[in-house]
Amino acid sequence: MFRGRRSRLVGMAYLAPAVIFVLVFTVYPLGHMVWMSFHNWSLITPPRWVGLGNYQRALADRQYWVSFLFTLKYTAMITPILIVGGYLLALLTVERSPLRRLTRTTVFIPVVIGLGVSSLLWYWLFSADFGPINKALMDLGIISKPVLWLGVDADLSNLAIIASVAWKVMGFGMILFVGAIQAIPTDITEASLVDGASFWQRVTRVILPLTLRSVLLVTLVSVIGSLLAFDQFYIMTAGQPQNETATSVFYIYLNSFPYLRLGYGAALSMILALTILAFTVVQLLLTRRSHA
Amino acid sequence: MEVHGMRSRLRWPVLVAAATLLLAACSQGSDTPSTTAQAPAATTSCASTGELTMWERSGGNKQMVDMLVAAWNQKNPNCKIKLTYIPHTEMVGKIAQGIASGEVPDLMGMDLIYAPQFEDAQQLVDLTDRIGSWPEIKTASKGHMTVATFENRLYGVPLYADVSALFYNKDLFKRAGLDPDKPPTSLPELREYADKITALGGGVKGYYLPGNCAGCNIFTVGPLMWASGAKIEAAGPGDEPLVGDGVKQVLQFTRDMVKAGNVPEGARSENGETFHLQFGSGKVGMMGTGNFNITLARQQNPKMDFGIALLPGMAPNSAASFIGGDLVVVPKGSKRVDDAVNFMKFLLSDQVQVEVYAKALNLTTRTDMVDNKYFQAEPLVQDVAKALEVGRTPYTLTFFEQINSPQGPWLKMLQRAYYSDDNLDTVIADAKAAMKTIANQ
Repeated sequence: MFRGRRSRLVGMAYLAPAVIFVLVFTVYPLGHMVWMSFHNWSLITPPRWVGLGNYQRALADRQYWVSFLFTLKYTAMITPILIVGGYLLALLTVERSPLRRLTRTTVFIPVVIGLGVSSLLWYWLFSADFGPINKALMDLGIISKPVLWLGVDADLSNLAIIASVAWKVMGFGMILFVGAIQAIPTDITEASLVDGASFWQRVTRVILPLTLRSVLLVTLVSVIGSLLAFDQFYIMTAGQPQNETATSVFYIYLNSFPYLRLGYGAALSMILALTILAFTVVQLLLTRRSHA
Repeated sequence: MEVHGMRSRLRWPVLVAAATLLLAACSQGSDTPSTTAQAPAATTSCASTGELTMWERSGGNKQMVDMLVAAWNQKNPNCKIKLTYIPHTEMVGKIAQGIASGEVPDLMGMDLIYAPQFEDAQQLVDLTDRIGSWPEIKTASKGHMTVATFENRLYGVPLYADVSALFYNKDLFKRAGLDPDKPPTSLPELREYADKITALGGGVKGYYLPGNCAGCNIFTVGPLMWASGAKIEAAGPGDEPLVGDGVKQVLQFTRDMVKAGNVPEGARSENGETFHLQFGSGKVGMMGTGNFNITLARQQNPKMDFGIALLPGMAPNSAASFIGGDLVVVPKGSKRVDDAVNFMKFLLSDQVQVEVYAKALNLTTRTDMVDNKYFQAEPLVQDVAKALEVGRTPYTLTFFEQINSPQGPWLKMLQRAYYSDDNLDTVIADAKAAMKTIANQ
């Protein structure tokens, strides 16, 4: 009995660092956010209990739902681009040759740049006054006057931002896909070659099914990242025109910090967190099914 | 057993949260040093020895603040200031956390538009009895002193000033047949000049309106309204925003300017990132911008000849300006109030106004110090300094939400005026309702 108790204590001692870490850096902040969401708190005045008031307000807040729907739209548009684009790039560069390695490195370089920096870079590239994109298109005779890519038309702004993010992020998916494809046992691919399968037959019937877990992983990462989109919209459109390109996190940021409505911002964050959790659960279920 | 285990697991975070809150509550309750009775007379030197801590937001006039602190440190080696820059988006949170935990700096620079919020929340030391009678206060920048005052109590002094003014390109004036020494003195005149400059063609435009930048617009279009007799923001609950004919007149003026092609099309997506580069491009005839643009425009376009005038209103010779910048304030909990007050005295002293501010061609923060040898040698700075006398700073507890936010009613109103055909009375009524709702919250 004593020995059993002792071994339990030893086990708990081994677990303690990880448990403390999770408690301090995950459970406590999350609990504090829940607590904040039930209060009105400006940081510079004492918090005031409002119960579910912030959640009721969020449900009636038109701008939050406009932002939420825009974020979903952005996510739905960019995710397939990142997955398909990343996969195609992986197929193109998976072979081990110097040129392909160089291509992989080149495509991957933007991944290591901060999103804020790349957003600023693309803001300049798209600038009507100073940007080379408009100039190049005009020199080529494709457009007759500069296109106002950002902050004037919501759809055009969205497309421009998707282009910039695709450039920045696609290399990440590509690297994961390359790793997954290279992990496929060579006897399987060689067998399909002996059977006379064409390139696309090999891709669709051998490579893709065997890398589906990586596809789902990249999809999960992309969906979560897109639902949390902030920097690129904050820098490139500031939510314009007429707040149509303001994402959920952008709206949460505005409420929490510049407006000093920390409690309301926490309530909005909780709603977003639950949405992301729902997406994640669905993705994990799909992953398990594919694994089974 | 399972329930008990779950309770045990839940107890830790609850205890941690409770302990943290208790700590914060205890810290908030601590008294701040007395600010009145035994306060010694202020000097421009140390009141005590030991390093002083100061926080300042990043994104402001870092160069100027560094110079001011260096000048103090040189004069006061026994109580040097250790300056820490806080990212401006984190400043409010950082100060609030500092106040809650008692870990506040001895003094801090603060974006002046946030001052009323902190004064209202009683988070700053009331300095009225220490600095209110200083003669320097009488000539300190009006805009700064407006927001440094709350319910007739004084909480700070100017750290540095940024003002808006009308920059005009003399080369383009000459090419358009205009007198380069006679900038427009009213909005109708400005329109007339802009038409002539735009007619030059070749991508040259008469004027610039930043279409997607709330802050740039309060800085440069707000003064056009003030100069036309209008009031913009709601100061607090029950206060009426957007009052006066000047609001509609200026909106009509801007709409006409855009429709006449006097504003570059690219200005519609200007969110502030390239605003400071527009005038220096040499393709804009006139533009509301700030004193910071003098140096920038010279670096960007050394051959360009330009002048500076005040931003006009509808009537001839009416003018206004937006005074921005930072205040020096003392957070509650500061242990070195006497030294902080002495630093304020130092900033406002004749010597620092001339030999630090003016020498670096930054605006003095006292209007009676603009006539100095450095500005005399630099007429453009002298011209822009005139804005200090006609300038103002909006006073409201909800400045960001009403005015500065990219999602706020101010920018929405301007965008509808610039780029739609909506009835201007409706546009103003919508913005007014939104501003009142924000102010009443």
